[in-house]
Amino acid sequence: MDAPRYKSGHIIFFRGNDWDKNLSPEELQRVTGQFMAWFERLSREGKAIGGAPLENEGKIVSGSRGRSVSDGPFAESKEAIGGYFMLDVESMEEAVEIARECPILEYGAKVEVRPVAPQCVQMRKAQQFATAVA
Amino acid sequence: MPDEVEIQSAPPNADISQLADHLFRHESAKLVSVLTRIFGIERLDFAEDVVQETLAKALRTWPYYGVPANPAAWLTQAAKNLALDLIRREKLFRDKEAQIITSIENWSSDSEMTAQFDNELKDGRLRLMFACCHPDIPVESQTALALKTLCGFSPAEIAKAFLTTEAAVAKRLTRAKQRIKELKIPFEIPAGEDLAPRLDAVLQTLYLLFNEGYKASSGESLIRQDLCDEAIRLVALIAGHPATSTPRAHALGALMLLNAARLPARVDDDGNILRLQEQDRSKWRQDLIARGIMHLGRSAGGEDLSEYHLQAGIAACHCTAPDYDSTDWRRILALYDQLLEIDPSPVVALNRAVALANVEGTRAAREFLGTLQGRAALDSYHLYFAVLGEFELQLQNFESAGKHFSRAMELTELESERAFLNRRLQLCRPSPSQAAA
Repeated sequence: MDAPRYKSGHIIFFRGNDWDKNLSPEELQRVTGQFMAWFERLSREGKAIGGAPLENEGKIVSGSRGRSVSDGPFAESKEAIGGYFMLDVESMEEAVEIARECPILEYGAKVEVRPVAPQCVQMRKAQQFATAVA
Repeated sequence: MPDEVEIQSAPPNADISQLADHLFRHESAKLVSVLTRIFGIERLDFAEDVVQETLAKALRTWPYYGVPANPAAWLTQAAKNLALDLIRREKLFRDKEAQIITSIENWSSDSEMTAQFDNELKDGRLRLMFACCHPDIPVESQTALALKTLCGFSPAEIAKAFLTTEAAVAKRLTRAKQRIKELKIPFEIPAGEDLAPRLDAVLQTLYLLFNEGYKASSGESLIRQDLCDEAIRLVALIAGHPATSTPRAHALGALMLLNAARLPARVDDDGNILRLQEQDRSKWRQDLIARGIMHLGRSAGGEDLSEYHLQAGIAACHCTAPDYDSTDWRRILALYDQLLEIDPSPVVALNRAVALANVEGTRAAREFLGTLQGRAALDSYHLYFAVLGEFELQLQNFESAGKHFSRAMELTELESERAFLNRRLQLCRPSPSQAAA
């Protein structure tokens, strides 16, 4: 009998919004095609279960009760998040393997791989504590 | 899975093949010319930035949502929106802002392109061509600018095509744009007396672009094929526009098409260069030959007999010969004689020598080369030594032939040419059995 398999959630973020600055139309088209084919394949294989591109500009809300709402015209940056995929894969290793296939890496973009925490860390600690004292 | 985040579902069908070849390059060239028409030629940089950002937007979104039903219309709409945003935010045009915004809003991005818009588009492309190829811009800057704005090449790609550095290309582009501003080069199709010299300058630049792609001695092969294709696209635009459809423009179109038609047969499957007599003529592109012959016919519509006419005529002789042996070398020789009168350059003479060898024999051709005026100019030209080597080989002067082929090899960087010359060189050496004897 197979042991039940628990897949873990991971999100991969694409970082950098200036790597495409000097690409020619021909290169931009090639990368678009590659990115598209990559996401399509991962979706078909059930490894990518969603994703979205993010606009460069937005708002930053801060301060007590959101007193401050400022424009976030995020300058060109190597750190800005341009989009993300939600992955449904067995392990961090598998998520990293997928991230390594990202076609924009060779142009200087970075991919950040983050496991989705299965549960709030504080809550988990509290439960562990509760189990321990029980 | 955190359920408070709404996740965009995966696109149903996103396939790499949904994008037509060179779609971005060709759309960017169109968009740059339309935007330049609206913003003014002095704002060429701004038009280019808007287009770059438009393509980047496609790259950022299409992979997630799939390719739009009409990608060209999507790009046009995105360019309009971006341009409007930037103009309103940055106040780039001061008193002209309202007028420019109206122009952008009136710019049709319908999927059904109207005939009027199509004409405006072609008109804008031609104006941009005349501005980029203005005779007051240094020639090397003209070709770089034409490739950048009219063909959507990046500085890196231009550098590859011309075997130079990206920095050198950037400098040429800056210089060209400075000249446009300093001289207030107009964004127009010249008329009247101005037309002929200005059109000549445009044709000359396109001819250079094509030659850069066609000649086998520089650049990467993919880029070179693209240069030929782009030069053909642009010359077809000129030859097809009523204001510029001159016999000379048709002649240049014929020249390009009839030479490009034979490119696919120029190397074998392993990338080895094949001589004319070795080429598989079934690989010649009959569609291009037909278009070339059509332009050649239209080029005869006047008194003008330019070097483009003669070169197109020579190419037509090759293209219409069913096999090597039936090549009309006499006619080719006569055309080279006429060409030498217009352009008495040693390179033309070298080509004439090859034709002469086929008509009067190798000895006569070698003699002609020996008496050539300005031969010194060929001293660093590998094809000169390749031709000399070929002549000596045919005359069975193996030692002399070998020296020429060796010299030719020293003068070319291109691996495929070196390999070709090396194979010719091997024919000049005694075979191992003879050497052992």
